Amino acid sequence: MFFKGLWIPIARPAVLALVSIAVIGCGRGETDAETAQKVYRHAIDGAPASLDPAHADNVYAATLVKNLFDTLYRYKYLSRPYELVPNLAEDFPEVSEDGRVYRIRLREGARFADDPAFPGGLGRAVTAADVVYSLKRHFMSETRSRGGWLWRDRIVGLESDATIRSADQSVAGLAAIDERTVRIELTEPYPQFTHTLAMALSAVVPREAVEYYGREFGVHPVGSGPFVLNRFDEAMAVLEANPGFDRGPVDLAAEGFDPQRHAGYDLEPIDGKPYPLVDRIEVHFISEPSARWTSFASDGGVDVVMVPPELAERVLESRSPLRFKPAIRERYRTLHGLEAGFVYHGFNMANPEIGHSADPVRDRKNRALRCAMRDAFDWSARNEAFYHGLGRVFPGAIPPVLAAYDPPFDDDSVTHRPRQARQRLQSAGWTADTLPPMIYGLEASIQQRQMFEQFRAWMQEAGFPPGHFQPRSFAGFGEYSRAIGQRELDFFLLGWTLSYPDAQYSLQLFYGPNAAPGANSVNYDNPEFDRLFERASTLPAGPERTALYRRLNRMIIEDCVIIGSLSRTRLYLWRPDVRMFPDREMVGGYFLRFVDVVEDRP
Amino acid sequence: MSAGGSRGGFLLDRLVTATALLLGVTLISFTLTVHFGPDPTWEQLGRNPTPEQIEQVRQALGQDRGFLPRYADFLLRLARLDLGHALASGEPVVDLLARAIPVSLLLLAPGFLIGIVLALALAMVAAWRPRGFVDRLCTIVSATGMSLSLVIIVIALQAVFAVWLDWFPARGWRVHDLASYLRHVTVPSLGLIVAGLGYNLRFFRSVFRNVLHDPPVRTARAYGFGDGRIAIRYVLRAAAPPILTRILVAVPLIVISGSLIIEKHFGIPGIGMVTWNAMMSGDQPVMMAVVSLSSVLFVLALSVTDLLTGLLDPKVRGA
Repeated sequence: MFFKGLWIPIARPAVLALVSIAVIGCGRGETDAETAQKVYRHAIDGAPASLDPAHADNVYAATLVKNLFDTLYRYKYLSRPYELVPNLAEDFPEVSEDGRVYRIRLREGARFADDPAFPGGLGRAVTAADVVYSLKRHFMSETRSRGGWLWRDRIVGLESDATIRSADQSVAGLAAIDERTVRIELTEPYPQFTHTLAMALSAVVPREAVEYYGREFGVHPVGSGPFVLNRFDEAMAVLEANPGFDRGPVDLAAEGFDPQRHAGYDLEPIDGKPYPLVDRIEVHFISEPSARWTSFASDGGVDVVMVPPELAERVLESRSPLRFKPAIRERYRTLHGLEAGFVYHGFNMANPEIGHSADPVRDRKNRALRCAMRDAFDWSARNEAFYHGLGRVFPGAIPPVLAAYDPPFDDDSVTHRPRQARQRLQSAGWTADTLPPMIYGLEASIQQRQMFEQFRAWMQEAGFPPGHFQPRSFAGFGEYSRAIGQRELDFFLLGWTLSYPDAQYSLQLFYGPNAAPGANSVNYDNPEFDRLFERASTLPAGPERTALYRRLNRMIIEDCVIIGSLSRTRLYLWRPDVRMFPDREMVGGYFLRFVDVVEDRP
Repeated sequence: MSAGGSRGGFLLDRLVTATALLLGVTLISFTLTVHFGPDPTWEQLGRNPTPEQIEQVRQALGQDRGFLPRYADFLLRLARLDLGHALASGEPVVDLLARAIPVSLLLLAPGFLIGIVLALALAMVAAWRPRGFVDRLCTIVSATGMSLSLVIIVIALQAVFAVWLDWFPARGWRVHDLASYLRHVTVPSLGLIVAGLGYNLRFFRSVFRNVLHDPPVRTARAYGFGDGRIAIRYVLRAAAPPILTRILVAVPLIVISGSLIIEKHFGIPGIGMVTWNAMMSGDQPVMMAVVSLSSVLFVLALSVTDLLTGLLDPKVRGA
């Protein structure tokens, strides 16, 4: 009696409220969720804020942008090293003899997806004028482009001081010759230019949609890619096959299929089928490694997982050679590969206490200091402690994933030599009293703090007094970037992801005119380096350019500008009923159009 | 004074309090975000910005203006209910809140309500028979619940119900009918109930124990009224003010703050996730909208609490 009398008055309002909320809320969500037949559930470790191509300078946004929009070129699905292939373009560009003028013909039949931004809500054909507009808008202040630097000073009429005030303003080096032909004139040869036209930042947008949605274009993307956006929020994006997208069937051989290398991935059935091959792709944004793993382990969760280093023990039988456990190989499809990028520690060379100095004696002394710190740094221990031994340590800034990588190059610069560090300091006349204090920048995370403590212990072993390095932590990457950009930090950890497979992209990190706030965060200023870099940048791929790249790499190693570097290994697992070869590196999200799932999938 | 005058006075008092609170809270939070929060300029820049581009973005974001003009501008826009656009995505903040708040409400309401009801019932029984079986059980449950972190609870529940038993989805929010809603909300709700039960149980039991010693309850017992009647008409009614205050003050937190841990871990696009992203990227329009809305809701919650307390307690009504 007591319980009955008590429960009814307390529970009744709660139950009523719950039912009301449930009924009200049930109208939300994707009512067509169950109707899609072939669904692939992808997971990435971060969420994009905007899907405007002009903001897509990170892997998360690029993954989606490359599928919602078209770029003129893309990378072949399976070829390694990476190979460009025409996408929205009909063929490779016709380049003038002096390498400055590009003529690009667009393929016929490419159309923007239907959207209220167009008259009558019907999409229209993609034209050369759209390509011109898409590049031009990077230089309009209201776009707040994150990619204009790729073409600034490269295209005639888009020099540093140029501003585009209106979309109708003409640019000397950008012209739509006819409906389907674009002419681009460069200020000097730029062999990597075609690669930039495969980046998400270069994706082609319709002017009507940009103007119709204004600032909201980033959440209402309208493109001509293989998918259209169905849902986009902080947790997930849902893409649906674009019915107007027609690029013919998959030509597996042309995409670089190698029966030996791709054996066991069950890719053959997609050959000859029109793509995209699935009706719907759900891209889940899961930053927490354990949550990503849990979702993958549960039925109905994501279909693929990029295994974080801390969970590598669960799936690996051995790390050298890298082999997955038999139980994992039986249950899932597996893939491992190096990232197209690297992490490194940089010095602020603009600080005359540790970097460049007008006094040659001090300059040499500072170099000895930096080299001593590099000798004291233990990459092997760093790799074991924070990358579970899965990283690949290499000297300089040309990572192993690039053709210009120099395998036989001396690895002295990444070898732990504390005794040599002490000797260097002594020889240069550094003592505990004269060593300049340094500000060590880090993002506020436990891992970065642990990295700092590890670093400090190595430096003490080499003779640096305790308290010599002052840690300064920042809540987010934006603040951290600001501090580096404003040269507030003396020593910092950075990562660099390649957007195209060319060492020019990583060596630009040391090019003088790119000094902070630009990409040259270390503020390296070496006229000889700049001269050689400028020369290499205009050369076509070949032995001469490779030799120059390697020479540039040796210069930054000899000057002890950075302590580095390390490329991380990616481990992928995915369900056996998904046919794909995932690769988020240079290919970015292009592979999603070729993902297939078996017909009788639960 | 007439009843109408008294109501008018109450409303005027609340309006003045609300305005003062809103001004105070927004001033403090605006100061904190401007002077100590991350500079959003650098989040908006690409990999190779020039000093001119940095200045251009600073101007576009209003970062080059003084504090007072910016704060005044913010207040004017707030008065017009113009919350601006999110810096990162360009989405109108109103749309963003309208999209995220219902999700958080749907997600958190079941766990919150069931947790309260369960805690009230158990606390009543425990307080009624001190040192009895239920009371001892409640002591253990309280201590355990308060010792466990919500993260641990969430991971454990997810492992059991989503991975091991595979009854519910591990994460996500694909809600389109009642069945899908129940599938997605069950494990997060269990997490909230388990995490909140300990604190609520302890608080409610303590309130009920105090009320059970009150003269009206003793008198009701002397009259020989049944336990149910005493519990509902005397104990619950007398305990209502502190309980209502606790419950109603928690509502704005649910509506606006959501539950960051639950939403992040289960991949649910609610207001908690929106707020977290805004804080990390220095998205000032979103942060200030959340803060302002929180202040308004707190004032509303306190006003409703006062009104209900007045209705339930004649001493307060007469004061």
